[in-house]
Amino acid sequence: MERAFQYTLTLLIGAVAAMVFAQVILRYVLEAPLMGLEEMLVYPTLWLYVLGSINASRENTQISANVLEVFARTARTKLAIRAVASVATVGISIWLTWWAWDYFRYSLRVWKESPTLYIPTFYAESALFIGLSCMTIYAAGHMVRNVRALIAGTGEKES
Amino acid sequence: MIEISFLALGVLVLLLSFGVPLPFCFGGGLMVMVLVGGATMKGTMLWGFSQLANPVLLCIPLFVFAGTVMSESGIAESLLRFVNFFVGRIRGGLGVVASVSCAIIGAISGSGLTGVAATGPLLIPEMARKGYPRGYATALVANSSILGLLIPPSVTMIIYGWVTDTSIVACFLATVGPGLLITFNFSVVNLVLARRFPLVLDPPMPRREAARECVSRTGRALPALIMPAIILGGIYGGIMTPTEAAAVAVVYAIPVGFMIYKGLTFRSFLKAGKESATAVGAIMIMIIFSLMLSQIFVMEDVPQAMVDGVFEITTNKTLLLILINLLLFFVGMIVNDVTAIILIAPLLLPLMEAIGISPIHFAAIMGVNTAMGGVTPPYASILYLGMRIGEVEFTEVIKPAMTLILFGYVPVVFLTSFWPDLALFLPTLAGFN
Repeated sequence: MERAFQYTLTLLIGAVAAMVFAQVILRYVLEAPLMGLEEMLVYPTLWLYVLGSINASRENTQISANVLEVFARTARTKLAIRAVASVATVGISIWLTWWAWDYFRYSLRVWKESPTLYIPTFYAESALFIGLSCMTIYAAGHMVRNVRALIAGTGEKES
Repeated sequence: MIEISFLALGVLVLLLSFGVPLPFCFGGGLMVMVLVGGATMKGTMLWGFSQLANPVLLCIPLFVFAGTVMSESGIAESLLRFVNFFVGRIRGGLGVVASVSCAIIGAISGSGLTGVAATGPLLIPEMARKGYPRGYATALVANSSILGLLIPPSVTMIIYGWVTDTSIVACFLATVGPGLLITFNFSVVNLVLARRFPLVLDPPMPRREAARECVSRTGRALPALIMPAIILGGIYGGIMTPTEAAAVAVVYAIPVGFMIYKGLTFRSFLKAGKESATAVGAIMIMIIFSLMLSQIFVMEDVPQAMVDGVFEITTNKTLLLILINLLLFFVGMIVNDVTAIILIAPLLLPLMEAIGISPIHFAAIMGVNTAMGGVTPPYASILYLGMRIGEVEFTEVIKPAMTLILFGYVPVVFLTSFWPDLALFLPTLAGFN
Protein backbone atom coordinates (compact mmCIF):
# COMPACT_ATOMS: atom_id res chain seq x y z
CA MET A 1 0.00 0.00 0.00
CA GLU A 2 2.86 2.33 0.91
CA ARG A 3 4.43 1.81 -2.51
CA ALA A 4 1.09 2.35 -4.30
CA PHE A 5 0.61 5.69 -2.53
CA GLN A 6 4.22 6.73 -3.20
CA TYR A 7 3.90 6.13 -6.94
CA THR A 8 0.35 7.47 -7.34
CA LEU A 9 0.90 10.64 -5.34
CA THR A 10 4.26 11.41 -6.94
CA LEU A 11 2.77 10.78 -10.37
CA LEU A 12 -0.17 13.09 -9.65
CA ILE A 13 1.90 15.95 -8.18
CA GLY A 14 4.40 15.55 -11.02
CA ALA A 15 1.62 15.61 -13.62
CA VAL A 16 0.11 18.75 -12.11
CA ALA A 17 3.52 20.50 -12.07
CA ALA A 18 4.21 19.39 -15.65
CA MET A 19 0.84 20.66 -16.89
CA VAL A 20 1.26 24.08 -15.26
CA PHE A 21 4.85 24.29 -16.52
CA ALA A 22 3.75 23.33 -20.04
CA GLN A 23 1.20 26.14 -19.98
CA VAL A 24 3.91 28.59 -18.81
CA ILE A 25 6.08 27.65 -21.79
CA LEU A 26 3.16 27.72 -24.20
CA ARG A 27 1.84 31.05 -22.91
CA TYR A 28 5.02 33.06 -22.28
CA VAL A 29 7.60 31.52 -24.60
CA LEU A 30 5.59 30.25 -27.56
CA GLU A 31 2.74 32.73 -26.99
CA ALA A 32 0.22 30.01 -27.86
CA PRO A 33 -1.61 28.96 -24.67
CA LEU A 34 -3.42 25.66 -24.88
CA MET A 35 -7.19 25.98 -24.56
CA GLY A 36 -8.70 23.77 -21.90
CA LEU A 37 -5.47 22.90 -20.08
CA GLU A 38 -6.73 24.58 -16.89
CA GLU A 39 -9.89 22.51 -17.21
CA MET A 40 -7.90 19.28 -17.47
CA LEU A 41 -5.80 20.34 -14.51
CA VAL A 42 -8.80 20.20 -12.16
CA TYR A 43 -8.99 16.40 -12.34
CA PRO A 44 -5.48 15.38 -11.20
CA THR A 45 -5.48 18.29 -8.74
CA LEU A 46 -8.65 17.25 -6.89
CA TRP A 47 -7.58 13.60 -6.85
CA LEU A 48 -4.16 14.66 -5.57
CA TYR A 49 -5.77 16.48 -2.63
CA VAL A 50 -8.18 13.64 -1.85
CA LEU A 51 -5.63 10.81 -2.17
CA GLY A 52 -3.15 12.86 -0.11
CA SER A 53 -5.76 13.19 2.60
CA ILE A 54 -6.62 9.46 2.45
CA ASN A 55 -2.93 8.73 2.94
CA ALA A 56 -2.82 11.14 5.90
CA SER A 57 -5.69 9.12 7.44
CA ARG A 58 -3.91 5.85 6.63
CA GLU A 59 -0.72 7.08 8.30
CA ASN A 60 -2.75 8.72 11.08
CA THR A 61 -1.06 12.04 10.32
CA GLN A 62 -4.14 14.22 9.85
CA ILE A 63 -3.56 17.57 11.56
CA SER A 64 -4.76 17.53 15.17
CA ALA A 65 -4.10 19.58 18.29
CA ASN A 66 -4.15 17.00 21.18
CA VAL A 67 -4.45 19.73 23.83
CA LEU A 68 -5.95 17.52 26.58
CA GLU A 69 -3.32 14.81 26.07
CA VAL A 70 -0.63 17.30 27.02
CA PHE A 71 -2.26 17.77 30.42
CA ALA A 72 -3.16 14.10 30.97
CA ARG A 73 -1.07 12.65 33.80
CA THR A 74 -1.55 8.92 33.39
CA ALA A 75 -1.20 6.68 30.36
CA ARG A 76 -4.74 5.44 30.93
CA THR A 77 -6.18 8.97 30.75
CA LYS A 78 -4.30 9.48 27.49
CA LEU A 79 -5.74 6.24 26.11
CA ALA A 80 -9.24 7.28 27.18
CA ILE A 81 -8.86 10.69 25.48
CA ARG A 82 -7.63 9.00 22.30
CA ALA A 83 -10.53 6.53 22.36
CA VAL A 84 -13.11 9.33 22.78
CA ALA A 85 -11.45 11.32 19.98
CA SER A 86 -11.42 8.38 17.60
CA VAL A 87 -15.09 7.50 18.32
CA ALA A 88 -16.05 11.14 17.65
CA THR A 89 -13.94 11.13 14.46
CA VAL A 90 -15.70 8.05 13.11
CA GLY A 91 -19.16 9.42 13.97
CA ILE A 92 -18.51 12.75 12.24
CA SER A 93 -16.78 11.05 9.32
CA ILE A 94 -19.79 8.78 8.72
CA TRP A 95 -22.10 11.80 8.77
CA LEU A 96 -19.90 13.69 6.30
CA THR A 97 -19.62 10.62 4.07
CA TRP A 98 -23.38 10.35 4.01
CA TRP A 99 -23.61 13.94 2.69
CA ALA A 100 -20.77 13.25 0.25
CA TRP A 101 -22.85 10.30 -1.01
CA ASP A 102 -25.73 12.72 -1.59
CA TYR A 103 -23.34 14.96 -3.58
CA PHE A 104 -22.05 11.91 -5.49
CA ARG A 105 -25.58 10.89 -6.52
CA TYR A 106 -26.40 14.48 -7.51
CA SER A 107 -23.25 14.68 -9.62
CA LEU A 108 -24.04 11.35 -11.29
CA ARG A 109 -27.63 12.39 -12.01
CA VAL A 110 -26.83 15.84 -13.42
CA TRP A 111 -23.73 14.64 -15.35
CA LYS A 112 -22.29 18.11 -15.95
CA GLU A 113 -19.51 18.58 -18.49
CA SER A 114 -16.59 21.01 -18.50
CA PRO A 115 -17.19 24.02 -20.77
CA THR A 116 -14.38 23.58 -23.34
CA LEU A 117 -13.42 19.93 -23.46
CA TYR A 118 -16.76 18.44 -22.36
CA ILE A 119 -15.12 16.17 -19.79
CA PRO A 120 -17.74 14.97 -17.27
CA THR A 121 -17.11 16.76 -13.96
CA PHE A 122 -18.31 13.62 -12.18
CA TYR A 123 -14.80 12.17 -12.57
CA ALA A 124 -13.48 14.91 -10.28
CA GLU A 125 -16.55 15.34 -8.06
CA SER A 126 -16.73 11.65 -7.19
CA ALA A 127 -13.37 12.00 -5.41
CA LEU A 128 -14.98 13.50 -2.30
CA PHE A 129 -17.28 10.55 -1.62
CA ILE A 130 -14.58 7.98 -2.39
CA GLY A 131 -12.08 9.91 -0.28
CA LEU A 132 -14.36 10.31 2.72
CA SER A 133 -15.38 6.64 2.55
CA CYS A 134 -11.73 5.56 2.68
CA MET A 135 -10.99 8.05 5.47
CA THR A 136 -13.92 6.66 7.47
CA ILE A 137 -12.59 3.12 7.06
CA TYR A 138 -9.10 4.16 8.23
CA ALA A 139 -10.60 6.18 11.10
CA ALA A 140 -12.62 3.12 12.14
CA GLY A 141 -9.41 1.06 12.12
CA HIS A 142 -7.70 3.60 14.41
CA MET A 143 -10.80 3.64 16.63
CA VAL A 144 -10.74 -0.14 17.07
CA ARG A 145 -7.04 -0.03 17.96
CA ASN A 146 -7.53 2.82 20.45
CA VAL A 147 -10.54 1.21 22.14
CA ARG A 148 -8.71 -2.14 22.33
CA ALA A 149 -5.69 -0.42 23.85
CA LEU A 150 -7.92 1.26 26.42
CA ILE A 151 -9.62 -2.02 27.31
CA ALA A 152 -6.30 -3.84 27.44
CA GLY A 153 -4.90 -1.12 29.70
CA THR A 154 -7.87 -1.59 32.08
CA GLY A 155 -7.46 -5.34 32.01
CA GLU A 156 -3.79 -5.10 32.90
CA LYS A 157 -4.55 -2.86 35.87
CA GLU A 158 -7.44 -4.99 37.09
CA SER A 159 -5.41 -8.16 36.93
CA MET B 1 -29.08 31.33 15.31
CA ILE B 2 -26.09 33.32 16.65
CA GLU B 3 -26.26 31.22 19.84
CA ILE B 4 -26.17 28.04 17.76
CA SER B 5 -23.16 29.38 15.85
CA PHE B 6 -21.33 29.91 19.13
CA LEU B 7 -22.38 26.40 20.18
CA ALA B 8 -20.86 25.10 16.94
CA LEU B 9 -17.64 27.01 17.72
CA GLY B 10 -17.68 25.50 21.23
CA VAL B 11 -18.08 21.98 19.83
CA LEU B 12 -15.24 22.67 17.39
CA VAL B 13 -12.92 23.75 20.23
CA LEU B 14 -13.98 20.77 22.38
CA LEU B 15 -13.27 18.27 19.59
CA LEU B 16 -9.99 20.01 18.88
CA SER B 17 -8.95 19.69 22.55
CA PHE B 18 -9.65 15.96 22.47
CA GLY B 19 -7.32 15.56 19.50
CA VAL B 20 -9.96 14.87 16.84
CA PRO B 21 -8.31 15.52 13.42
CA LEU B 22 -8.99 19.09 12.35
CA PRO B 23 -11.15 18.32 9.27
CA PHE B 24 -13.54 16.41 11.53
CA CYS B 25 -13.51 19.20 14.15
CA PHE B 26 -14.86 21.50 11.46
CA GLY B 27 -17.20 18.65 10.46
CA GLY B 28 -18.47 18.56 14.07
CA GLY B 29 -19.18 22.29 13.90
CA LEU B 30 -21.05 21.71 10.64
CA MET B 31 -23.08 18.93 12.27
CA VAL B 32 -24.26 21.35 14.97
CA MET B 33 -25.21 23.99 12.41
CA VAL B 34 -27.14 21.46 10.31
CA LEU B 35 -28.73 19.25 12.98
CA VAL B 36 -29.45 21.95 15.58
CA GLY B 37 -29.48 25.14 13.52
CA GLY B 38 -31.26 23.75 10.47
CA ALA B 39 -28.60 24.95 7.99
CA THR B 40 -28.54 23.13 4.66
CA MET B 41 -25.68 20.83 3.64
CA LYS B 42 -26.72 20.13 0.05
CA GLY B 43 -25.50 23.26 -1.69
CA THR B 44 -22.81 23.89 0.90
CA MET B 45 -20.93 20.67 0.17
CA LEU B 46 -21.13 21.27 -3.57
CA TRP B 47 -19.82 24.81 -3.11
CA GLY B 48 -17.09 23.78 -0.64
CA PHE B 49 -15.59 21.09 -2.84
CA SER B 50 -15.72 23.22 -5.98
CA GLN B 51 -13.62 25.89 -4.20
CA LEU B 52 -10.67 23.50 -4.16
CA ALA B 53 -10.45 23.64 -7.93
CA ASN B 54 -9.29 27.26 -7.64
CA PRO B 55 -5.91 27.49 -9.46
CA VAL B 56 -4.59 29.84 -6.76
CA LEU B 57 -4.55 26.98 -4.24
CA LEU B 58 -2.50 24.89 -6.62
CA CYS B 59 0.64 26.80 -5.71
CA ILE B 60 0.56 25.17 -2.24
CA PRO B 61 1.35 21.58 -3.36
CA LEU B 62 3.81 22.85 -5.94
CA PHE B 63 5.77 25.07 -3.51
CA VAL B 64 5.72 22.31 -0.88
CA PHE B 65 6.94 19.75 -3.44
CA ALA B 66 9.70 22.04 -4.77
CA GLY B 67 10.86 22.78 -1.20
CA THR B 68 10.85 19.10 -0.21
CA VAL B 69 12.75 18.09 -3.35
CA MET B 70 15.37 20.78 -2.70
CA SER B 71 15.62 19.76 0.94
CA GLU B 72 16.09 16.08 -0.02
CA SER B 73 18.77 17.18 -2.50
CA GLY B 74 21.10 18.26 0.29
CA ILE B 75 21.13 22.00 -0.39
CA ALA B 76 21.38 22.78 3.31
CA GLU B 77 25.07 21.88 3.54
CA SER B 78 26.00 24.14 0.61
CA LEU B 79 23.96 27.04 2.02
CA LEU B 80 25.42 26.65 5.50
CA ARG B 81 28.99 26.58 4.15
CA PHE B 82 28.21 29.63 2.02
CA VAL B 83 26.83 31.73 4.90
CA ASN B 84 29.49 30.39 7.28
CA PHE B 85 32.22 31.78 5.03
CA PHE B 86 31.09 35.35 5.74
CA VAL B 87 30.29 35.16 9.46
CA GLY B 88 31.79 31.88 10.68
CA ARG B 89 34.99 33.37 12.03
CA ILE B 90 33.40 35.87 14.41
CA ARG B 91 32.39 34.92 17.94
CA GLY B 92 28.82 33.62 17.75
CA GLY B 93 29.01 33.58 13.96
CA LEU B 94 27.71 30.03 13.68
CA GLY B 95 24.51 31.13 15.42
CA VAL B 96 24.12 33.87 12.81
CA VAL B 97 24.62 31.19 10.14
CA ALA B 98 21.62 29.35 11.64
CA SER B 99 19.34 32.41 11.45
CA VAL B 100 20.37 33.51 7.98
CA SER B 101 20.41 29.99 6.48
CA CYS B 102 16.92 29.29 7.80
CA ALA B 103 15.69 32.54 6.26
CA ILE B 104 17.17 31.52 2.90
CA ILE B 105 15.74 28.00 3.15
CA GLY B 106 12.41 29.64 4.01
CA ALA B 107 12.61 31.47 0.70
CA ILE B 108 12.93 28.08 -0.98
CA SER B 109 10.53 25.89 0.96
CA GLY B 110 7.77 28.11 2.39
CA SER B 111 7.55 25.96 5.49
CA GLY B 112 9.06 26.00 8.97
CA LEU B 113 9.41 22.26 9.36
CA THR B 114 11.55 22.00 6.22
CA GLY B 115 14.01 24.53 7.66
CA VAL B 116 14.59 22.62 10.88
CA ALA B 117 14.60 19.24 9.08
CA ALA B 118 17.17 20.43 6.53
CA THR B 119 19.53 22.47 8.72
CA GLY B 120 19.08 20.80 12.13
CA PRO B 121 20.98 17.54 11.45
CA LEU B 122 23.98 19.56 10.19
CA LEU B 123 23.93 22.68 12.34
CA ILE B 124 23.06 21.38 15.79
CA PRO B 125 25.95 18.85 16.06
CA GLU B 126 28.33 21.39 14.49
CA MET B 127 27.28 24.10 16.97
CA ALA B 128 27.62 21.65 19.87
CA ARG B 129 31.11 20.69 18.63
CA LYS B 130 32.10 24.38 18.57
CA GLY B 131 31.05 24.90 22.21
CA TYR B 132 27.38 25.99 22.03
CA PRO B 133 25.16 24.19 24.59
CA ARG B 134 23.14 21.60 22.65
CA GLY B 135 19.81 22.86 24.05
CA TYR B 136 20.65 26.41 22.95
CA ALA B 137 21.70 25.26 19.46
CA THR B 138 18.43 23.36 19.07
CA ALA B 139 16.36 26.31 20.29
CA LEU B 140 18.13 28.69 17.91
CA VAL B 141 17.72 26.43 14.86
CA ALA B 142 14.05 25.71 15.67
CA ASN B 143 13.25 29.38 16.29
CA SER B 144 15.06 30.46 13.14
CA SER B 145 13.18 27.86 11.11
CA ILE B 146 9.89 29.68 11.66
CA LEU B 147 11.28 32.31 9.29
CA GLY B 148 10.22 29.87 6.58
CA LEU B 149 6.66 30.92 7.36
CA LEU B 150 7.45 34.61 6.92
CA ILE B 151 9.92 34.81 4.05
CA PRO B 152 7.99 34.29 0.78
CA PRO B 153 6.75 32.03 -0.64
CA SER B 154 4.82 31.19 2.52
CA VAL B 155 2.10 28.52 2.57
CA THR B 156 0.29 30.30 5.42
CA MET B 157 0.15 33.55 3.45
CA ILE B 158 -1.24 31.73 0.41
CA ILE B 159 -4.03 30.33 2.58
CA TYR B 160 -4.64 33.68 4.30
CA GLY B 161 -4.84 35.45 0.94
CA TRP B 162 -7.21 32.85 -0.37
CA VAL B 163 -9.61 32.68 2.60
CA THR B 164 -9.79 36.47 2.96
CA ASP B 165 -9.78 37.26 -0.76
CA THR B 166 -6.60 39.34 -0.44
CA SER B 167 -3.78 39.49 -3.00
CA ILE B 168 -1.35 36.63 -2.21
CA VAL B 169 1.50 38.61 -3.72
CA ALA B 170 0.78 41.48 -1.31
CA CYS B 171 0.52 39.05 1.64
CA PHE B 172 3.92 37.60 0.73
CA LEU B 173 5.43 41.09 0.88
CA ALA B 174 3.69 41.99 4.16
CA THR B 175 5.69 39.43 6.17
CA VAL B 176 9.08 40.19 4.60
CA GLY B 177 9.80 43.21 6.89
CA PRO B 178 8.92 41.36 10.12
CA GLY B 179 10.79 38.26 8.89
CA LEU B 180 13.99 40.20 8.18
CA LEU B 181 13.73 42.02 11.51
CA ILE B 182 13.38 38.68 13.33
CA THR B 183 16.46 37.35 11.48
CA PHE B 184 18.36 40.45 12.61
CA ASN B 185 17.07 40.14 16.21
CA PHE B 186 17.98 36.47 16.48
CA SER B 187 21.47 37.24 15.14
CA VAL B 188 21.98 40.04 17.68
CA VAL B 189 20.53 38.08 20.63
CA ASN B 190 22.75 35.16 19.62
CA LEU B 191 25.88 37.34 19.45
CA VAL B 192 25.12 38.64 22.95
CA LEU B 193 24.36 35.19 24.42
CA ALA B 194 27.34 33.57 22.67
CA ARG B 195 29.73 35.68 24.80
CA ARG B 196 28.95 33.37 27.73
CA PHE B 197 29.78 30.16 25.84
CA PRO B 198 33.30 28.64 25.65
CA LEU B 199 33.37 28.72 21.83
CA VAL B 200 36.01 27.27 19.53
CA LEU B 201 36.53 29.63 16.58
CA ASP B 202 37.87 28.70 13.13
CA PRO B 203 41.43 29.99 12.54
CA PRO B 204 41.70 32.97 10.16
CA MET B 205 42.23 32.01 6.52
CA PRO B 206 45.01 33.47 4.32
CA ARG B 207 43.66 35.99 1.85
CA ARG B 208 44.37 33.93 -1.27
CA GLU B 209 42.84 30.79 0.20
CA ALA B 210 39.84 32.81 1.41
CA ALA B 211 39.21 34.14 -2.10
CA ARG B 212 39.40 30.63 -3.55
CA GLU B 213 37.10 29.29 -0.85
CA CYS B 214 34.63 32.14 -1.42
CA VAL B 215 34.37 31.35 -5.14
CA SER B 216 34.05 27.62 -4.47
CA ARG B 217 31.34 27.94 -1.79
CA THR B 218 29.38 30.55 -3.75
CA GLY B 219 29.46 28.34 -6.84
CA ARG B 220 28.22 25.36 -4.86
CA ALA B 221 25.40 27.37 -3.23
CA LEU B 222 24.40 29.19 -6.43
CA PRO B 223 21.92 26.60 -7.80
CA ALA B 224 20.04 26.72 -4.48
CA LEU B 225 20.17 30.53 -4.33
CA ILE B 226 18.82 30.80 -7.88
CA MET B 227 15.56 29.12 -6.84
CA PRO B 228 14.20 31.97 -4.68
CA ALA B 229 15.38 34.35 -7.39
CA ILE B 230 13.26 32.45 -9.95
CA ILE B 231 10.22 32.34 -7.66
CA LEU B 232 10.33 35.88 -6.34
CA GLY B 233 11.71 37.41 -9.54
CA GLY B 234 9.02 35.65 -11.57
CA ILE B 235 6.20 36.80 -9.31
CA TYR B 236 7.32 40.36 -8.53
CA GLY B 237 8.70 40.94 -12.00
CA GLY B 238 5.11 40.49 -13.16
CA ILE B 239 6.20 37.57 -15.36
CA MET B 240 4.31 34.73 -13.69
CA THR B 241 1.53 34.07 -11.22
CA PRO B 242 2.52 32.38 -7.92
CA THR B 243 1.13 29.05 -9.21
CA GLU B 244 3.18 29.26 -12.41
CA ALA B 245 6.29 30.26 -10.43
CA ALA B 246 5.75 27.24 -8.18
CA ALA B 247 5.57 24.90 -11.19
CA VAL B 248 8.76 26.40 -12.63
CA ALA B 249 10.39 25.91 -9.20
CA VAL B 250 9.45 22.19 -9.26
CA VAL B 251 10.81 21.74 -12.78
CA TYR B 252 14.01 23.55 -11.74
CA ALA B 253 14.42 21.67 -8.44
CA ILE B 254 14.25 18.13 -9.89
CA PRO B 255 17.32 18.23 -12.20
CA VAL B 256 19.22 20.35 -9.65
CA GLY B 257 18.56 17.67 -7.01
CA PHE B 258 19.41 14.72 -9.27
CA MET B 259 22.31 16.12 -11.26
CA ILE B 260 23.93 19.03 -9.41
CA TYR B 261 23.61 18.28 -5.68
CA LYS B 262 23.10 14.57 -6.39
CA GLY B 263 21.43 14.08 -3.00
CA LEU B 264 18.14 13.23 -4.68
CA THR B 265 17.63 9.57 -5.53
CA PHE B 266 14.61 7.92 -7.14
CA ARG B 267 13.61 6.61 -3.73
CA SER B 268 13.92 10.02 -2.00
CA PHE B 269 12.09 11.63 -4.94
CA LEU B 270 9.15 9.26 -4.43
CA LYS B 271 9.28 9.96 -0.70
CA ALA B 272 9.24 13.71 -1.39
CA GLY B 273 6.23 13.32 -3.69
CA LYS B 274 4.28 11.26 -1.19
CA GLU B 275 5.14 13.46 1.79
CA SER B 276 4.28 16.68 -0.04
CA ALA B 277 0.96 15.29 -1.33
CA THR B 278 0.04 13.92 2.11
CA ALA B 279 0.83 17.19 3.86
CA VAL B 280 -1.18 19.12 1.28
CA GLY B 281 -4.06 16.62 1.32
CA ALA B 282 -4.37 17.01 5.10
CA ILE B 283 -4.58 20.80 4.66
CA MET B 284 -7.03 20.69 1.75
CA ILE B 285 -9.58 18.40 3.37
CA MET B 286 -9.52 20.72 6.37
CA ILE B 287 -10.00 23.71 4.08
CA ILE B 288 -13.16 22.19 2.52
CA PHE B 289 -14.97 21.77 5.83
CA SER B 290 -13.69 25.00 7.38
CA LEU B 291 -14.85 26.88 4.28
CA MET B 292 -18.27 25.27 4.50
CA LEU B 293 -18.56 26.21 8.18
CA SER B 294 -17.33 29.76 7.50
CA GLN B 295 -19.86 30.10 4.70
CA ILE B 296 -22.69 29.12 7.03
CA PHE B 297 -21.35 31.54 9.68
CA VAL B 298 -21.25 34.35 7.13
CA MET B 299 -24.83 33.57 6.06
CA GLU B 300 -25.82 33.74 9.74
CA ASP B 301 -23.94 37.05 10.13
CA VAL B 302 -21.66 35.69 12.88
CA PRO B 303 -18.57 37.83 12.05
CA GLN B 304 -20.69 41.01 12.20
CA ALA B 305 -22.25 39.87 15.51
CA MET B 306 -18.72 39.37 16.85
CA VAL B 307 -17.74 42.88 15.76
CA ASP B 308 -20.83 44.34 17.45
CA GLY B 309 -20.22 42.27 20.59
CA VAL B 310 -16.59 43.37 20.85
CA PHE B 311 -17.47 47.02 20.19
CA GLU B 312 -19.95 46.90 23.08
CA ILE B 313 -16.98 46.14 25.34
CA THR B 314 -14.45 48.54 23.82
CA THR B 315 -13.67 50.45 20.63
CA ASN B 316 -10.13 51.36 21.70
CA LYS B 317 -7.90 50.31 18.78
CA THR B 318 -4.75 49.84 20.90
CA LEU B 319 -6.54 47.68 23.45
CA LEU B 320 -8.22 45.64 20.71
CA LEU B 321 -4.90 45.06 18.95
CA ILE B 322 -3.31 43.88 22.20
CA LEU B 323 -6.26 41.56 22.85
CA ILE B 324 -6.15 40.18 19.31
CA ASN B 325 -2.40 39.57 19.59
CA LEU B 326 -2.99 37.70 22.85
CA LEU B 327 -5.81 35.69 21.26
CA LEU B 328 -3.62 34.79 18.27
CA PHE B 329 -0.77 33.90 20.62
CA PHE B 330 -2.98 31.49 22.57
CA VAL B 331 -4.52 30.02 19.41
CA GLY B 332 -0.99 29.56 18.02
CA MET B 333 -0.06 27.70 21.20
CA ILE B 334 -2.73 25.05 20.67
CA VAL B 335 -3.09 24.69 16.88
CA ASN B 336 -0.68 24.91 13.96
CA ASP B 337 -0.26 27.98 11.75
CA VAL B 338 -2.48 26.86 8.87
CA THR B 339 -5.32 25.88 11.19
CA ALA B 340 -5.08 29.15 13.12
CA ILE B 341 -5.40 31.12 9.90
CA ILE B 342 -8.32 29.08 8.54
CA LEU B 343 -10.07 29.26 11.90
CA ILE B 344 -9.49 32.88 12.84
CA ALA B 345 -8.85 34.99 9.72
CA PRO B 346 -12.40 35.01 8.26
CA LEU B 347 -13.93 35.64 11.69
CA LEU B 348 -11.59 38.45 12.78
CA LEU B 349 -11.04 40.27 9.50
CA PRO B 350 -14.33 42.25 9.68
CA LEU B 351 -13.36 43.40 13.19
CA MET B 352 -9.89 44.40 12.02
CA GLU B 353 -11.29 46.35 9.08
CA ALA B 354 -13.74 48.05 11.43
CA ILE B 355 -10.82 49.39 13.50
CA GLY B 356 -8.92 50.49 10.41
CA ILE B 357 -6.49 47.60 9.93
CA SER B 358 -6.16 46.65 6.27
CA PRO B 359 -6.32 42.97 5.23
CA ILE B 360 -2.66 43.16 4.12
CA HIS B 361 -1.56 44.53 7.50
CA PHE B 362 -3.64 41.85 9.22
CA ALA B 363 -1.86 39.23 7.08
CA ALA B 364 1.43 40.27 8.68
CA ILE B 365 -0.10 40.35 12.19
CA MET B 366 -1.51 36.85 11.72
CA GLY B 367 1.66 35.63 10.02
CA VAL B 368 4.03 36.62 12.86
CA ASN B 369 1.69 35.44 15.61
CA THR B 370 0.87 32.06 14.10
CA ALA B 371 4.52 31.46 13.15
CA MET B 372 5.49 32.09 16.79
CA GLY B 373 2.96 29.38 17.71
CA GLY B 374 5.23 26.85 16.01
CA VAL B 375 7.77 27.19 18.83
CA THR B 376 5.49 27.90 21.79
CA PRO B 377 4.28 24.78 23.68
CA PRO B 378 2.05 22.85 24.02
CA TYR B 379 1.61 22.78 20.19
CA ALA B 380 5.19 23.58 19.20
CA SER B 381 5.64 21.25 16.23
CA ILE B 382 8.80 22.96 14.98
CA LEU B 383 10.42 23.03 18.43
CA TYR B 384 9.53 19.36 19.02
CA LEU B 385 11.00 18.34 15.67
CA GLY B 386 14.14 20.32 16.57
CA MET B 387 14.33 18.46 19.90
CA ARG B 388 14.11 15.11 18.10
CA ILE B 389 16.85 16.11 15.66
CA GLY B 390 19.04 17.71 18.35
CA GLU B 391 18.45 14.81 20.75
CA VAL B 392 17.78 17.13 23.67
CA GLU B 393 15.19 17.15 26.43
CA PHE B 394 12.42 19.72 26.75
CA THR B 395 14.01 21.09 29.94
CA GLU B 396 17.25 21.86 28.08
CA VAL B 397 15.58 23.65 25.19
CA ILE B 398 12.73 25.58 26.76
CA LYS B 399 14.77 28.28 28.55
CA PRO B 400 16.87 29.35 25.53
CA ALA B 401 13.78 29.03 23.29
CA MET B 402 11.81 31.39 25.54
CA THR B 403 14.76 33.82 25.72
CA LEU B 404 14.89 33.96 21.92
CA ILE B 405 11.12 34.38 21.67
CA LEU B 406 11.06 37.11 24.31
CA PHE B 407 13.93 39.19 22.91
CA GLY B 408 13.88 38.19 19.25
CA TYR B 409 10.25 37.58 18.44
CA VAL B 410 7.86 39.37 20.80
CA PRO B 411 9.19 42.88 19.98
CA VAL B 412 8.53 42.20 16.29
CA VAL B 413 5.00 40.95 17.04
CA PHE B 414 4.19 44.27 18.70
CA LEU B 415 6.05 46.36 16.11
CA THR B 416 4.09 44.60 13.34
CA SER B 417 0.82 45.53 15.03
CA PHE B 418 1.62 49.10 16.08
CA TRP B 419 3.99 50.21 13.32
CA PRO B 420 2.04 49.43 10.14
CA ASP B 421 4.88 50.57 7.87
CA LEU B 422 6.91 47.52 8.88
CA ALA B 423 4.33 45.34 7.16
CA LEU B 424 2.96 47.76 4.59
CA PHE B 425 6.12 49.42 3.26
CA LEU B 426 6.90 46.74 0.66
CA PRO B 427 3.27 46.10 -0.43
CA THR B 428 2.76 49.87 -0.84
CA LEU B 429 6.00 50.11 -2.82
CA ALA B 430 4.72 47.34 -5.10
CA GLY B 431 1.44 49.21 -5.63
CA PHE B 432 -0.85 47.39 -3.19
CA ASN B 433 -2.92 49.65 -0.96
